[in-house]
Amino acid sequence: MKKGLILLVLVILITGSLLGCQPEAPLEQTSNPPSSPSKLDSINTAGKIMVGTSADYPPYESVDESGKYIGFDIELMAAIAEGMGVKLEWVDMPFDSLIAAVQENKIDLSISCFNYSEERDQQVDFSEAYYTSKDAFLVAKGFSGTIAKPEDVVTLKVGVQSGTVQDDWLTSNLIDTGLLKEENLSRYERVDQAALDLQAGRVDVLMLDEVPAKNLVSQYEGFNIVLSAELSTGPLNIVLPDGDVALKAEIDKQIKALQDSGKIEELAQKYFSE
Amino acid sequence: MPQPILTIKKLTKIYGNNVIFRDIDLTVAEGDTIVIIGPSGTGKSTLLRCINLLTHPDGGEIWLDADEITAKGANEDLVRQHIGMVFQNFLLFNHLTALDNVKLGLTKVKHMNDKAAEAKAFEELKRVGLSDRAHHYPGQLSGGQQQRVAIARALAMDPRIMLFDEPTSALDPELIGEVLEVMRDLSKSGMTMLVVTHEMGFAREVADRIVFMEKGNIVEEGSPDDLFYRPKFERTREFLWKITELYGKKENADGPSAAEDTESNQPAAEENA
Amino acid sequence: MDVANFIKYILQGTVYTLGVTAVALPSGLILGTLFALLAVYGGKTLKQVMSLYSTVMRGIPPIVLLLILYFVMSGEINLSPFWAGSISLGIISSAYQMEIVRGAILSVSAGQMMAARAIGLTRMQAIINIILPQTLRNAIAPWSNEAAIIIKDSSLVYALGVPEILRRAQLIGASSGSYLPAYLTAALIYFALVFASGRLLGLLEKKLEIPANP
Repeated sequence: MKKGLILLVLVILITGSLLGCQPEAPLEQTSNPPSSPSKLDSINTAGKIMVGTSADYPPYESVDESGKYIGFDIELMAAIAEGMGVKLEWVDMPFDSLIAAVQENKIDLSISCFNYSEERDQQVDFSEAYYTSKDAFLVAKGFSGTIAKPEDVVTLKVGVQSGTVQDDWLTSNLIDTGLLKEENLSRYERVDQAALDLQAGRVDVLMLDEVPAKNLVSQYEGFNIVLSAELSTGPLNIVLPDGDVALKAEIDKQIKALQDSGKIEELAQKYFSE
Repeated sequence: MPQPILTIKKLTKIYGNNVIFRDIDLTVAEGDTIVIIGPSGTGKSTLLRCINLLTHPDGGEIWLDADEITAKGANEDLVRQHIGMVFQNFLLFNHLTALDNVKLGLTKVKHMNDKAAEAKAFEELKRVGLSDRAHHYPGQLSGGQQQRVAIARALAMDPRIMLFDEPTSALDPELIGEVLEVMRDLSKSGMTMLVVTHEMGFAREVADRIVFMEKGNIVEEGSPDDLFYRPKFERTREFLWKITELYGKKENADGPSAAEDTESNQPAAEENA
Repeated sequence: MDVANFIKYILQGTVYTLGVTAVALPSGLILGTLFALLAVYGGKTLKQVMSLYSTVMRGIPPIVLLLILYFVMSGEINLSPFWAGSISLGIISSAYQMEIVRGAILSVSAGQMMAARAIGLTRMQAIINIILPQTLRNAIAPWSNEAAIIIKDSSLVYALGVPEILRRAQLIGASSGSYLPAYLTAALIYFALVFASGRLLGLLEKKLEIPANP
């Protein structure tokens, strides 16, 4: 028994060294220390900026059939890159991988309908808000209940995209308080799976960002937003490497310029008008 | 007296608490055919495996010509080249043709060039009467044919001595004859052979000396006539009586054709002992 | 919606799927065969180490190793998503293939080794000339399983942003709203790849079959 334990430890160590693993500090502490040189320098030197997004969230970010990235965030970022005078290179990644990719310098920054959260702020930095949106409660054809306030969903089967701010909101406000039973909350990896289940009647209501919710309404016959509120979702921000002050200043400057010029309002009209 | 090819001194093999054999002494002179007989589980096969170092003895010495092969630092691979071994289950290399089975040792161990190795391999197959089966795979050959290829494979290495470990025990009765015939010819040609077998007819006819082993000891050894007609020990007589009865019954059960094809391995012991 | 473009977009992901498989399967085979030889013919300690390697690696979900290799160890080695994914799957596959080859070695009788040593071949010569040729033949059938698993597991590299079949189906599904056709297309492509690989290995097995009388 004891021998087995020793051997197990040995193998873990061997496996670790085989993979080139050094004992390492936990994830949160591996991000750029404030003293390290700014990403802005390397972006300017390379003449291009690598931006991560999860292109499965129209109308913010998606791809067309030729593989071209399209959407509100996409055009906004293109305008920012243009303002910085660098080329823009997109890196598509599942939403859950984006924060880690910024932390580990796999990409320079990420724009993917991110909302500020305290938890995330410990790992990365956020730009100033570039847009503010609301949460929506979405139901399918045949829904007979009433949802006048968010707490009304506790008697229903609720769906949400896992890892989103809506997931956080539901968890801390309805699950942890005991109002909504855990088994009545379905967490989906992607919003399209959630929409399919809503259509199939496996969940009664979806909580998600208002803009993609409106988008689903136009895609699925009978889908209907019964309540819009500013709950979890606040302003949208760009995710930046932790402590990179110079890069944050540059991005904030570009956002301000685009707000002042009316470009952002123009994009919102283009993508979010019903 | 010329130097014996094989000299075994006080050889002992123990598995755990189980003594397989103890203090075995045996010499084999050049050109001799020695047949070892005895009940199953007596250590005969283990003795053969010790001789070509597939198993290591726990005590004693084995000398091949003037070299002690059990000495520390002896090159086992070299030793095995000089000691041919034929197994009960043939153990041909399943993925190689008969010819390639015989050829492999020549190219890989003796480093002969491909052409010379092929020619020699073919000669060896011819010697065991299988030149027409050269390109057959083991799975396409009868048991008797497989065992003859195995003999050719061992012979190809030009060994000083050939060890046979119950070479016909796994064969159907009608296939035993062809293998024994090859072995008989080999013995006549002057090959030095050490054979473990239950084929009493072969032993009587071909052996220069018969060794009777029981419970890890050599009970008695001598010429076939001595052992079959004038055994010194009652145990020898009993064993020969039993094995005759056993094989006699088996042959009767298998019918006359089987008895015909096999060696007439009913020792005269039955009548003459 | 242009159906041809739709399918073509997803189909383009096949390159990555095949690429990951083409790296992971052979590297898993080479490592797996080596480890299997160590596990069967190595000393007591090696045997134990190999057995634990196998247990540990088969116990790790591929996605975990993949994320570790790409994100956690990015300080030590900076791998592209493609290579991080291919290497992770190769490492995990090596544990499975080690078991395949180990089983195949054990199914080649110990007598084959003994017979090889008896004619003077060294252990290494016996392994190369006798054991491996038979072992690898026996391993072909279980490999079509392993090939199928890797082809399907290669979809995991989507987590790192490699635009392979599944990720493309997600993206085109999201942008068009036609999820069902997108995932069906992906499923069909995976099926075709697995089917074809199974057929190819089947043909190979037939071709390498050792002739025997029925």
